[in-house]
Amino acid sequence: MIRTSGLTKVYGSIRAVDDLTFDVVPGAVTGFLGPNGAGKSTTMRMIVGLDRPTAGTATVAGRAYAALPAPLREVGALLDAGAMHPGRTARSHLRVAARTHGIPFARVDEVLEQVGLAHAARRRIRGYSLGMRQRLGIAGALLGDPQVLLFDEPVNGLDLDGVRWIRSLLRGFADEGRTVLVSSHLMSEVQLVADRVVVIGDGRLVADSTVAELLGRAGGPRVRVCTPRADDLLRHLPAHAVAERTGTHELEVSGVAPAVVGDLAHAVGVPVHHLSEVEQSLEHAYLALTGQQVDPVPEGVAR
Amino acid sequence: MSPALTLVRAGRAEWSRIWTVRSSWVFALALLVVVLGFGAVIGNDAASDPAGVTPGSTAWDGIRFTGMFALFGLVAMAVVVATGDHATGGIVPTLQWTPRRGMLLAARTAVVAGTTTLLGLLCMAAGAVVVWTFVPHLGLPVADGLALVGEMGVVLACGTLLAVGLGLATRSTAASLVLAIALLLVGPLLLAQLPYDWTLTVATHLPGSGALFLIFGEGPSDDMTTTSARLTMAAWSLAALAAGGWRLLATDADR
Repeated sequence: MIRTSGLTKVYGSIRAVDDLTFDVVPGAVTGFLGPNGAGKSTTMRMIVGLDRPTAGTATVAGRAYAALPAPLREVGALLDAGAMHPGRTARSHLRVAARTHGIPFARVDEVLEQVGLAHAARRRIRGYSLGMRQRLGIAGALLGDPQVLLFDEPVNGLDLDGVRWIRSLLRGFADEGRTVLVSSHLMSEVQLVADRVVVIGDGRLVADSTVAELLGRAGGPRVRVCTPRADDLLRHLPAHAVAERTGTHELEVSGVAPAVVGDLAHAVGVPVHHLSEVEQSLEHAYLALTGQQVDPVPEGVAR
Repeated sequence: MSPALTLVRAGRAEWSRIWTVRSSWVFALALLVVVLGFGAVIGNDAASDPAGVTPGSTAWDGIRFTGMFALFGLVAMAVVVATGDHATGGIVPTLQWTPRRGMLLAARTAVVAGTTTLLGLLCMAAGAVVVWTFVPHLGLPVADGLALVGEMGVVLACGTLLAVGLGLATRSTAASLVLAIALLLVGPLLLAQLPYDWTLTVATHLPGSGALFLIFGEGPSDDMTTTSARLTMAAWSLAALAAGGWRLLATDADR
Protein backbone atom coordinates (compact mmCIF):
# COMPACT_ATOMS: atom_id res chain seq x y z
CA MET A 1 0.00 0.00 0.00
CA ILE A 2 1.26 3.45 -0.95
CA ARG A 3 -0.33 6.39 0.86
CA THR A 4 0.19 10.07 0.29
CA SER A 5 -1.36 12.56 2.66
CA GLY A 6 -1.40 16.29 2.00
CA LEU A 7 1.73 15.84 -0.10
CA THR A 8 3.00 19.19 -1.29
CA LYS A 9 6.13 20.29 -3.12
CA VAL A 10 6.91 23.92 -3.80
CA TYR A 11 9.76 25.17 -5.98
CA GLY A 12 10.01 28.91 -5.50
CA SER A 13 6.66 30.28 -6.61
CA ILE A 14 5.55 27.04 -8.28
CA ARG A 15 3.45 24.48 -6.43
CA ALA A 16 4.50 21.37 -8.35
CA VAL A 17 2.43 19.12 -6.07
CA ASP A 18 -0.41 20.61 -4.09
CA ASP A 19 -1.98 18.86 -1.09
CA LEU A 20 -2.14 15.49 -2.79
CA THR A 21 -3.88 12.69 -0.89
CA PHE A 22 -4.48 9.26 -2.36
CA ASP A 23 -3.93 5.56 -1.69
CA VAL A 24 -2.53 2.96 -4.06
CA VAL A 25 -4.00 -0.37 -3.07
CA PRO A 26 -2.49 -3.85 -3.42
CA GLY A 27 -3.79 -6.29 -6.01
CA ALA A 28 -4.49 -3.68 -8.66
CA VAL A 29 -2.64 -1.72 -11.32
CA THR A 30 -3.14 1.96 -10.58
CA GLY A 31 -2.56 4.33 -13.47
CA PHE A 32 -1.13 7.71 -12.54
CA LEU A 33 -2.29 10.22 -15.13
CA GLY A 34 -1.79 13.88 -15.76
CA PRO A 35 -0.41 16.21 -18.41
CA ASN A 36 3.32 16.82 -18.65
CA GLY A 37 4.33 18.97 -15.71
CA ALA A 38 1.30 17.93 -13.65
CA GLY A 39 3.56 16.67 -10.86
CA LYS A 40 3.48 12.90 -11.45
CA SER A 41 7.25 12.38 -11.43
CA THR A 42 7.75 14.75 -8.50
CA THR A 43 5.14 12.80 -6.54
CA MET A 44 6.85 9.50 -7.31
CA ARG A 45 10.23 10.96 -6.36
CA MET A 46 8.81 12.08 -3.03
CA ILE A 47 7.36 8.62 -2.41
CA VAL A 48 10.85 7.10 -2.65
CA GLY A 49 12.51 9.94 -0.76
CA LEU A 50 14.47 11.50 -3.60
CA ASP A 51 12.74 14.85 -3.16
CA ARG A 52 11.76 16.21 0.22
CA PRO A 53 8.10 17.23 0.54
CA THR A 54 7.43 20.83 1.47
CA ALA A 55 4.47 19.48 3.45
CA GLY A 56 2.61 16.22 3.91
CA THR A 57 3.80 12.64 3.95
CA ALA A 58 4.26 9.69 1.63
CA THR A 59 4.48 6.20 3.05
CA VAL A 60 4.95 2.70 1.73
CA ALA A 61 3.62 -0.13 3.87
CA GLY A 62 3.03 2.42 6.61
CA ARG A 63 6.57 3.81 6.69
CA ALA A 64 8.56 6.52 5.01
CA TYR A 65 10.66 4.95 2.25
CA ALA A 66 13.94 5.80 4.01
CA ALA A 67 12.69 4.08 7.16
CA LEU A 68 12.08 0.76 5.43
CA PRO A 69 14.55 -1.84 6.73
CA ALA A 70 15.37 -3.15 3.24
CA PRO A 71 13.80 -0.77 0.73
CA LEU A 72 14.90 -2.63 -2.38
CA ARG A 73 13.14 -5.78 -1.14
CA GLU A 74 9.92 -3.87 -0.52
CA VAL A 75 9.76 -1.28 -3.30
CA GLY A 76 10.97 -1.46 -6.88
CA ALA A 77 11.00 1.84 -8.69
CA LEU A 78 11.82 2.88 -12.23
CA LEU A 79 11.90 6.65 -12.22
CA ASP A 80 14.40 7.72 -14.84
CA ALA A 81 15.81 5.17 -17.26
CA GLY A 82 18.67 7.47 -18.22
CA ALA A 83 19.86 7.88 -14.64
CA MET A 84 22.72 5.40 -14.62
CA HIS A 85 26.48 5.63 -14.92
CA PRO A 86 27.09 5.00 -18.63
CA GLY A 87 30.55 3.63 -17.97
CA ARG A 88 29.29 0.60 -16.05
CA THR A 89 28.06 -2.62 -17.55
CA ALA A 90 24.48 -3.65 -16.87
CA ARG A 91 25.70 -6.49 -14.67
CA SER A 92 27.98 -4.17 -12.65
CA HIS A 93 25.16 -1.65 -12.26
CA LEU A 94 22.86 -4.29 -10.79
CA ARG A 95 25.61 -5.86 -8.70
CA VAL A 96 26.18 -2.53 -6.99
CA ALA A 97 22.47 -2.51 -6.15
CA ALA A 98 22.62 -6.13 -4.99
CA ARG A 99 25.51 -5.37 -2.64
CA THR A 100 23.48 -2.73 -0.80
CA HIS A 101 20.98 -5.41 0.25
CA GLY A 102 23.04 -8.58 0.33
CA ILE A 103 21.15 -9.95 -2.67
CA PRO A 104 22.96 -12.91 -4.29
CA PHE A 105 24.57 -12.11 -7.65
CA ALA A 106 22.65 -15.04 -9.15
CA ARG A 107 19.53 -12.90 -8.79
CA VAL A 108 21.22 -10.23 -10.95
CA ASP A 109 21.60 -12.71 -13.80
CA GLU A 110 18.05 -13.88 -13.22
CA VAL A 111 16.48 -10.43 -13.64
CA LEU A 112 18.71 -9.65 -16.62
CA GLU A 113 17.35 -12.82 -18.21
CA GLN A 114 13.81 -11.84 -17.21
CA VAL A 115 14.02 -8.44 -18.95
CA GLY A 116 15.76 -9.86 -22.01
CA LEU A 117 19.17 -8.26 -21.42
CA ALA A 118 21.23 -11.36 -20.60
CA HIS A 119 22.98 -11.14 -23.98
CA ALA A 120 24.06 -7.54 -23.31
CA ALA A 121 24.89 -7.89 -19.60
CA ARG A 122 28.62 -7.28 -20.13
CA ARG A 123 28.18 -4.28 -22.40
CA ARG A 124 28.63 -0.78 -21.04
CA ILE A 125 25.39 1.13 -20.59
CA ARG A 126 26.55 3.99 -22.83
CA GLY A 127 26.01 1.64 -25.78
CA TYR A 128 22.42 0.86 -24.80
CA SER A 129 19.36 2.16 -26.63
CA LEU A 130 16.62 3.91 -24.65
CA GLY A 131 14.57 0.74 -24.72
CA MET A 132 17.47 -1.29 -23.32
CA ARG A 133 18.03 1.26 -20.55
CA GLN A 134 14.34 1.07 -19.79
CA ARG A 135 14.59 -2.71 -19.48
CA LEU A 136 17.66 -2.35 -17.26
CA GLY A 137 15.78 0.08 -15.04
CA ILE A 138 12.96 -2.44 -14.78
CA ALA A 139 15.48 -5.15 -13.92
CA GLY A 140 16.71 -2.93 -11.09
CA ALA A 141 13.16 -2.49 -9.87
CA LEU A 142 12.58 -6.25 -9.87
CA LEU A 143 15.91 -7.13 -8.25
CA GLY A 144 14.62 -7.35 -4.69
CA ASP A 145 11.39 -9.10 -5.72
CA PRO A 146 9.41 -6.28 -4.08
CA GLN A 147 5.74 -6.11 -3.12
CA VAL A 148 5.37 -2.53 -4.33
CA LEU A 149 6.29 -1.32 -7.82
CA LEU A 150 6.45 2.23 -9.12
CA PHE A 151 7.05 2.81 -12.80
CA ASP A 152 7.31 6.28 -14.29
CA GLU A 153 6.52 6.09 -18.01
CA PRO A 154 7.78 2.50 -18.32
CA VAL A 155 6.91 2.01 -22.00
CA ASN A 156 9.01 4.96 -23.20
CA GLY A 157 11.45 3.69 -25.79
CA LEU A 158 10.09 0.14 -25.81
CA ASP A 159 9.12 -1.56 -29.03
CA LEU A 160 5.78 -3.30 -29.48
CA ASP A 161 7.04 -6.53 -27.95
CA GLY A 162 8.41 -4.57 -25.03
CA VAL A 163 5.13 -2.77 -24.51
CA ARG A 164 3.21 -6.04 -24.51
CA TRP A 165 5.78 -7.52 -22.14
CA ILE A 166 5.53 -4.67 -19.63
CA ARG A 167 1.75 -4.84 -19.83
CA SER A 168 1.71 -8.52 -18.89
CA LEU A 169 4.36 -7.92 -16.24
CA LEU A 170 2.27 -5.24 -14.53
CA ARG A 171 -0.87 -7.34 -14.80
CA GLY A 172 0.93 -10.36 -13.39
CA PHE A 173 2.26 -8.43 -10.39
CA ALA A 174 -1.16 -7.01 -9.58
CA ASP A 175 -2.73 -10.46 -9.89
CA GLU A 176 -0.17 -11.74 -7.38
CA GLY A 177 -1.49 -9.16 -4.92
CA ARG A 178 1.32 -6.64 -5.30
CA THR A 179 0.86 -2.88 -5.37
CA VAL A 180 1.54 -1.36 -8.80
CA LEU A 181 1.61 2.38 -9.57
CA VAL A 182 2.37 3.27 -13.18
CA SER A 183 2.43 6.71 -14.70
CA SER A 184 1.97 7.23 -18.40
CA HIS A 185 0.81 9.84 -20.84
CA LEU A 186 -0.43 7.06 -23.14
CA MET A 187 -4.09 6.83 -22.13
CA SER A 188 -4.84 3.88 -24.38
CA GLU A 189 -1.97 1.99 -22.76
CA VAL A 190 -3.20 2.76 -19.26
CA GLN A 191 -6.76 1.77 -20.20
CA LEU A 192 -5.50 -1.64 -21.30
CA VAL A 193 -3.77 -2.44 -18.05
CA ALA A 194 -5.05 -0.26 -15.19
CA ASP A 195 -7.79 -1.17 -12.72
CA ARG A 196 -7.74 2.18 -10.99
CA VAL A 197 -6.57 5.64 -11.95
CA VAL A 198 -5.32 8.63 -10.03
CA VAL A 199 -5.55 11.75 -12.18
CA ILE A 200 -3.73 14.94 -11.26
CA GLY A 201 -3.56 18.34 -12.89
CA ASP A 202 -1.41 21.28 -11.81
CA GLY A 203 -0.27 19.15 -8.90
CA ARG A 204 -3.79 18.70 -7.54
CA LEU A 205 -5.93 15.59 -7.38
CA VAL A 206 -8.52 15.55 -10.13
CA ALA A 207 -9.84 12.00 -9.83
CA ASP A 208 -9.16 8.84 -7.84
CA SER A 209 -11.42 5.98 -8.89
CA THR A 210 -11.67 2.74 -10.79
CA VAL A 211 -11.32 2.96 -14.55
CA ALA A 212 -14.93 1.81 -14.95
CA GLU A 213 -16.21 4.57 -12.67
CA LEU A 214 -14.21 7.17 -14.53
CA LEU A 215 -15.50 6.00 -17.91
CA GLY A 216 -19.04 5.92 -16.57
CA ARG A 217 -18.73 9.47 -15.28
CA ALA A 218 -17.71 10.62 -18.76
CA GLY A 219 -20.96 9.26 -20.28
CA GLY A 220 -21.94 6.04 -22.05
CA PRO A 221 -20.99 4.91 -25.55
CA ARG A 222 -20.85 7.59 -28.23
CA VAL A 223 -21.75 7.69 -31.88
CA ARG A 224 -19.14 8.73 -34.40
CA VAL A 225 -20.54 10.29 -37.58
CA CYS A 226 -18.63 11.39 -40.64
CA THR A 227 -20.57 13.71 -42.92
CA PRO A 228 -19.67 16.60 -45.22
CA ARG A 229 -22.67 18.50 -43.74
CA ALA A 230 -21.84 18.23 -40.05
CA ASP A 231 -23.37 21.63 -39.23
CA ASP A 232 -26.72 20.62 -40.75
CA LEU A 233 -26.77 17.41 -38.75
CA LEU A 234 -25.84 19.27 -35.56
CA ARG A 235 -28.84 21.58 -35.98
CA HIS A 236 -31.25 18.67 -36.20
CA LEU A 237 -30.00 16.58 -33.28
CA PRO A 238 -32.44 16.22 -30.37
CA ALA A 239 -31.95 18.62 -27.49
CA HIS A 240 -30.78 15.94 -25.03
CA ALA A 241 -27.97 14.79 -27.32
CA VAL A 242 -24.49 16.07 -26.58
CA ALA A 243 -22.36 16.53 -29.69
CA GLU A 244 -18.70 17.34 -30.08
CA ARG A 245 -16.90 18.22 -33.30
CA THR A 246 -13.89 15.96 -33.56
CA GLY A 247 -12.93 16.98 -37.11
CA THR A 248 -14.06 19.14 -40.02
CA HIS A 249 -16.45 16.45 -41.19
CA GLU A 250 -16.71 14.41 -38.01
CA LEU A 251 -18.93 14.51 -34.93
CA GLU A 252 -19.14 12.46 -31.77
CA VAL A 253 -22.60 12.33 -30.26
CA SER A 254 -23.58 10.96 -26.88
CA GLY A 255 -27.02 10.50 -25.38
CA VAL A 256 -28.62 8.97 -28.46
CA ALA A 257 -28.45 5.56 -30.14
CA PRO A 258 -26.65 5.12 -33.49
CA ALA A 259 -29.93 4.19 -35.16
CA VAL A 260 -31.50 7.47 -34.08
CA VAL A 261 -28.63 9.46 -35.57
CA GLY A 262 -28.78 7.44 -38.80
CA ASP A 263 -32.54 7.84 -39.16
CA LEU A 264 -32.30 11.53 -38.42
CA ALA A 265 -29.61 12.09 -41.03
CA HIS A 266 -31.70 10.21 -43.58
CA ALA A 267 -34.82 12.19 -42.71
CA VAL A 268 -33.13 15.59 -43.18
CA GLY A 269 -31.19 14.50 -46.26
CA VAL A 270 -27.69 14.72 -44.78
CA PRO A 271 -25.30 12.27 -46.44
CA VAL A 272 -23.46 10.02 -43.97
CA HIS A 273 -20.10 8.48 -44.92
CA HIS A 274 -19.49 6.69 -41.64
CA LEU A 275 -21.59 5.85 -38.60
CA SER A 276 -20.42 3.75 -35.69
CA GLU A 277 -20.70 3.28 -31.98
CA VAL A 278 -17.50 3.91 -30.05
CA GLU A 279 -16.80 2.85 -26.51
CA GLN A 280 -15.95 5.57 -24.06
CA SER A 281 -12.17 5.96 -23.92
CA LEU A 282 -10.02 6.84 -20.98
CA GLU A 283 -8.54 9.56 -23.11
CA HIS A 284 -11.96 11.13 -23.57
CA ALA A 285 -12.77 10.78 -19.89
CA TYR A 286 -9.37 12.19 -19.00
CA LEU A 287 -9.77 15.19 -21.29
CA ALA A 288 -13.24 15.81 -19.93
CA LEU A 289 -11.81 15.79 -16.42
CA THR A 290 -8.73 17.88 -17.02
CA GLY A 291 -9.82 20.06 -19.90
CA GLN A 292 -11.44 22.68 -17.71
CA GLN A 293 -8.90 22.50 -14.97
CA VAL A 294 -5.55 22.14 -16.60
CA ASP A 295 -3.67 24.10 -19.19
CA PRO A 296 -1.71 21.36 -20.90
CA VAL A 297 1.99 22.00 -20.92
CA PRO A 298 3.69 21.28 -24.29
CA GLU A 299 5.69 18.06 -24.55
CA GLY A 300 9.22 18.41 -23.25
CA VAL A 301 8.54 21.41 -21.04
CA ALA A 302 9.57 20.67 -17.50
CA ARG A 303 7.91 22.33 -14.59
CA MET B 1 18.72 -4.60 8.43
CA SER B 2 20.67 -3.18 11.34
CA PRO B 3 22.34 0.20 10.84
CA ALA B 4 25.77 -1.43 11.07
CA LEU B 5 24.91 -3.95 8.36
CA THR B 6 23.39 -1.20 6.20
CA LEU B 7 26.62 0.78 6.54
CA VAL B 8 28.82 -2.19 5.72
CA ARG B 9 26.74 -3.03 2.66
CA ALA B 10 26.69 0.60 1.55
CA GLY B 11 30.47 0.60 1.89
CA ARG B 12 30.81 -2.54 -0.22
CA ALA B 13 28.58 -0.94 -2.85
CA GLU B 14 30.80 2.16 -2.85
CA TRP B 15 33.85 -0.03 -3.36
CA SER B 16 32.12 -1.62 -6.35
CA ARG B 17 31.16 1.79 -7.70
CA ILE B 18 34.80 2.87 -7.70
CA TRP B 19 36.23 -0.16 -9.43
CA THR B 20 33.48 -0.88 -11.96
CA VAL B 21 34.22 2.22 -14.02
CA ARG B 22 37.24 2.53 -16.25
CA SER B 23 38.26 6.02 -15.12
CA SER B 24 39.29 4.74 -11.66
CA TRP B 25 41.64 2.19 -13.19
CA VAL B 26 43.09 4.86 -15.49
CA PHE B 27 43.77 7.16 -12.52
CA ALA B 28 45.34 4.33 -10.51
CA LEU B 29 47.50 3.14 -13.38
CA ALA B 30 48.60 6.67 -14.29
CA LEU B 31 49.60 7.38 -10.70
CA LEU B 32 51.50 4.13 -10.45
CA VAL B 33 53.37 4.83 -13.69
CA VAL B 34 54.29 8.37 -12.58
CA VAL B 35 55.51 7.34 -9.13
CA LEU B 36 57.41 4.30 -10.41
CA GLY B 37 58.86 6.41 -13.22
CA PHE B 38 60.12 9.04 -10.80
CA GLY B 39 61.41 6.27 -8.56
CA ALA B 40 63.48 4.94 -11.46
CA VAL B 41 64.81 8.41 -12.36
CA ILE B 42 65.73 9.23 -8.75
CA GLY B 43 67.27 5.83 -8.17
CA ASN B 44 69.30 6.08 -11.35
CA ASP B 45 70.53 9.59 -10.44
CA ALA B 46 71.54 8.42 -6.97
CA ALA B 47 73.34 5.40 -8.41
CA SER B 48 75.26 7.43 -11.00
CA ASP B 49 76.10 10.33 -8.62
CA PRO B 50 76.54 8.94 -5.09
CA ALA B 51 78.10 12.21 -3.90
CA GLY B 52 74.79 13.99 -4.55
CA VAL B 53 72.95 11.79 -2.07
CA THR B 54 72.34 13.39 1.32
CA PRO B 55 74.18 11.38 3.96
CA GLY B 56 71.90 9.24 6.08
CA SER B 57 68.99 9.34 3.65
CA THR B 58 67.11 6.19 2.69
CA ALA B 59 65.17 5.05 -0.37
CA TRP B 60 62.02 6.36 1.35
CA ASP B 61 63.40 9.90 1.29
CA GLY B 62 63.95 9.64 -2.44
CA ILE B 63 60.28 9.06 -3.10
CA ARG B 64 58.90 11.61 -0.62
CA PHE B 65 58.37 14.44 -3.10
CA THR B 66 56.12 12.27 -5.30
CA GLY B 67 53.55 12.75 -2.54
CA MET B 68 52.62 15.98 -4.30
CA PHE B 69 51.85 14.11 -7.55
CA ALA B 70 49.94 11.51 -5.57
CA LEU B 71 47.97 14.23 -3.83
CA PHE B 72 46.84 15.91 -7.04
CA GLY B 73 46.16 12.66 -8.86
CA LEU B 74 44.15 11.22 -5.99
CA VAL B 75 42.24 14.44 -5.38
CA ALA B 76 41.20 14.35 -9.04
CA MET B 77 40.24 10.69 -8.74
CA ALA B 78 38.23 11.31 -5.56
CA VAL B 79 36.43 14.23 -7.20
CA VAL B 80 35.51 12.13 -10.24
CA VAL B 81 34.27 9.29 -8.06
CA ALA B 82 32.37 11.52 -5.63
CA THR B 83 30.65 13.52 -8.38
CA GLY B 84 30.09 10.59 -10.75
CA ASP B 85 26.61 9.89 -9.45
CA HIS B 86 25.52 13.49 -9.91
CA ALA B 87 27.18 13.90 -13.29
CA THR B 88 25.40 10.85 -14.70
CA GLY B 89 22.10 10.89 -12.82
CA GLY B 90 23.20 7.75 -11.01
CA ILE B 91 22.27 9.41 -7.71
CA VAL B 92 18.63 8.47 -8.45
CA PRO B 93 19.16 4.70 -8.17
CA THR B 94 21.87 5.19 -5.53
CA LEU B 95 19.45 6.89 -3.14
CA GLN B 96 16.77 4.34 -3.91
CA TRP B 97 19.15 1.58 -2.86
CA THR B 98 20.56 3.48 0.14
CA PRO B 99 17.89 5.99 1.10
CA ARG B 100 19.38 6.67 4.52
CA ARG B 101 21.51 9.55 3.41
CA GLY B 102 23.64 9.65 6.53
CA MET B 103 24.67 6.07 5.80
CA LEU B 104 25.49 6.94 2.21
CA LEU B 105 27.53 9.95 3.33
CA ALA B 106 29.49 7.90 5.84
CA ALA B 107 30.08 5.02 3.42
CA ARG B 108 31.03 7.25 0.50
CA THR B 109 33.37 9.43 2.52
CA ALA B 110 35.12 6.53 4.21
CA VAL B 111 35.45 4.30 1.16
CA VAL B 112 36.44 6.93 -1.40
CA ALA B 113 38.93 8.73 0.85
CA GLY B 114 40.19 5.47 2.34
CA THR B 115 40.65 3.77 -1.01
CA THR B 116 42.40 6.68 -2.68
CA THR B 117 44.66 7.31 0.31
CA LEU B 118 45.64 3.66 0.48
CA LEU B 119 46.25 3.63 -3.26
CA GLY B 120 48.57 6.63 -2.95
CA LEU B 121 50.54 5.05 -0.11
CA LEU B 122 50.90 1.77 -1.98
CA CYS B 123 52.15 3.59 -5.08
CA MET B 124 54.69 5.53 -3.00
CA ALA B 125 55.85 2.36 -1.29
CA ALA B 126 56.29 0.72 -4.69
CA GLY B 127 58.20 3.81 -5.84
CA ALA B 128 60.54 3.53 -2.85
CA VAL B 129 61.23 -0.10 -3.74
CA VAL B 130 62.18 1.02 -7.26
CA VAL B 131 64.60 3.62 -5.83
CA TRP B 132 66.07 0.96 -3.56
CA THR B 133 66.67 -1.44 -6.45
CA PHE B 134 68.97 1.17 -8.03
CA VAL B 135 70.75 2.09 -4.78
CA PRO B 136 70.34 -0.84 -2.39
CA HIS B 137 72.97 0.53 0.00
CA LEU B 138 70.57 3.37 0.96
CA GLY B 139 68.40 0.74 2.61
CA LEU B 140 64.65 0.48 2.99
CA PRO B 141 64.13 0.55 6.78
CA VAL B 142 60.67 -0.47 7.89
CA ALA B 143 60.55 2.18 10.62
CA ASP B 144 61.28 4.96 8.13
CA GLY B 145 58.69 3.51 5.80
CA LEU B 146 56.03 3.52 8.49
CA ALA B 147 56.92 7.08 9.41
CA LEU B 148 56.55 8.18 5.81
CA VAL B 149 53.25 6.32 5.50
CA GLY B 150 52.01 8.10 8.61
CA GLU B 151 53.05 11.53 7.40
CA MET B 152 51.85 11.08 3.82
CA GLY B 153 48.73 9.31 5.01
CA VAL B 154 47.59 12.48 6.77
CA VAL B 155 48.26 14.59 3.68
CA LEU B 156 46.52 12.23 1.28
CA ALA B 157 43.60 11.54 3.62
CA CYS B 158 42.98 15.25 4.21
CA GLY B 159 43.31 15.97 0.48
CA THR B 160 40.91 13.24 -0.61
CA LEU B 161 38.42 14.09 2.16
CA LEU B 162 38.53 17.67 0.90
CA ALA B 163 37.87 16.37 -2.60
CA VAL B 164 34.88 14.26 -1.50
CA GLY B 165 33.46 17.19 0.44
CA LEU B 166 33.82 19.54 -2.52
CA GLY B 167 32.31 16.94 -4.83
CA LEU B 168 29.26 16.43 -2.64
CA ALA B 169 28.87 20.16 -2.05
CA THR B 170 29.09 21.29 -5.67
CA ARG B 171 27.76 18.09 -7.35
CA SER B 172 29.92 19.16 -10.31
CA THR B 173 33.17 17.54 -11.42
CA ALA B 174 34.46 20.69 -13.10
CA ALA B 175 33.58 23.01 -10.22
CA SER B 176 35.11 20.65 -7.67
CA LEU B 177 38.34 20.31 -9.64
CA VAL B 178 38.65 24.08 -10.07
CA LEU B 179 38.08 24.64 -6.35
CA ALA B 180 40.51 21.88 -5.37
CA ILE B 181 43.24 23.24 -7.65
CA ALA B 182 42.62 26.75 -6.34
CA LEU B 183 42.88 25.65 -2.71
CA LEU B 184 45.78 23.23 -3.14
CA LEU B 185 47.95 24.85 -5.81
CA VAL B 186 47.04 28.19 -7.34
CA GLY B 187 45.88 29.93 -4.15
CA PRO B 188 48.98 29.21 -2.04
CA LEU B 189 51.41 29.94 -4.89
CA LEU B 190 49.75 33.15 -6.01
CA LEU B 191 48.89 34.67 -2.65
CA ALA B 192 52.35 33.97 -1.20
CA GLN B 193 53.95 35.97 -4.03
CA LEU B 194 51.94 39.13 -3.41
CA PRO B 195 53.64 41.86 -1.33
CA TYR B 196 51.03 42.00 1.44
CA ASP B 197 51.05 40.49 4.89
CA TRP B 198 47.41 39.51 4.74
CA THR B 199 47.79 37.56 1.50
CA LEU B 200 50.68 35.68 3.07
CA THR B 201 48.50 34.93 6.08
CA VAL B 202 45.71 33.66 3.85
CA ALA B 203 48.17 31.58 1.80
CA THR B 204 49.55 30.04 4.97
CA HIS B 205 46.08 28.93 6.00
CA LEU B 206 45.17 27.29 2.70
CA PRO B 207 45.28 23.48 2.57
CA GLY B 208 47.84 23.49 -0.25
CA SER B 209 50.35 25.24 2.01
CA GLY B 210 49.75 22.63 4.68
CA ALA B 211 50.39 19.87 2.17
CA LEU B 212 53.53 21.62 0.90
CA PHE B 213 54.91 21.92 4.42
CA LEU B 214 54.11 18.32 5.35
CA ILE B 215 55.72 16.96 2.17
CA PHE B 216 58.73 19.23 1.74
CA GLY B 217 59.13 20.68 5.24
CA GLU B 218 58.75 24.27 4.09
CA GLY B 219 55.81 26.52 3.37
CA PRO B 220 55.03 30.14 2.51
CA SER B 221 55.61 31.26 6.11
CA ASP B 222 58.36 30.43 8.62
CA ASP B 223 55.72 30.27 11.34
CA MET B 224 54.33 26.99 10.04
CA THR B 225 54.75 23.84 12.08
CA THR B 226 53.79 20.24 11.46
CA THR B 227 50.87 20.63 13.84
CA SER B 228 49.64 23.86 12.27
CA ALA B 229 49.94 22.35 8.79
CA ARG B 230 47.96 19.26 9.83
CA LEU B 231 45.32 21.37 11.56
CA THR B 232 44.98 23.59 8.50
CA MET B 233 44.45 20.62 6.20
CA ALA B 234 42.07 18.90 8.61
CA ALA B 235 40.00 22.04 9.12
CA TRP B 236 39.54 22.53 5.38
CA SER B 237 38.60 18.88 4.91
CA LEU B 238 36.04 19.01 7.71
CA ALA B 239 34.58 22.26 6.38
CA ALA B 240 34.23 20.80 2.88
CA LEU B 241 32.68 17.61 4.27
CA ALA B 242 30.26 19.63 6.38
CA ALA B 243 29.14 21.55 3.28
CA GLY B 244 28.91 18.37 1.18
CA GLY B 245 27.13 16.49 3.94
CA TRP B 246 24.57 19.25 4.35
CA ARG B 247 23.89 19.26 0.60
CA LEU B 248 23.38 15.50 0.54
CA LEU B 249 21.33 15.27 3.72
CA ALA B 250 19.14 18.33 3.41
CA THR B 251 18.38 18.88 -0.25
CA ASP B 252 16.66 17.03 -3.08
CA ALA B 253 18.65 14.26 -4.75
CA ASP B 254 19.61 15.88 -8.02
CA ARG B 255 18.38 19.44 -8.12
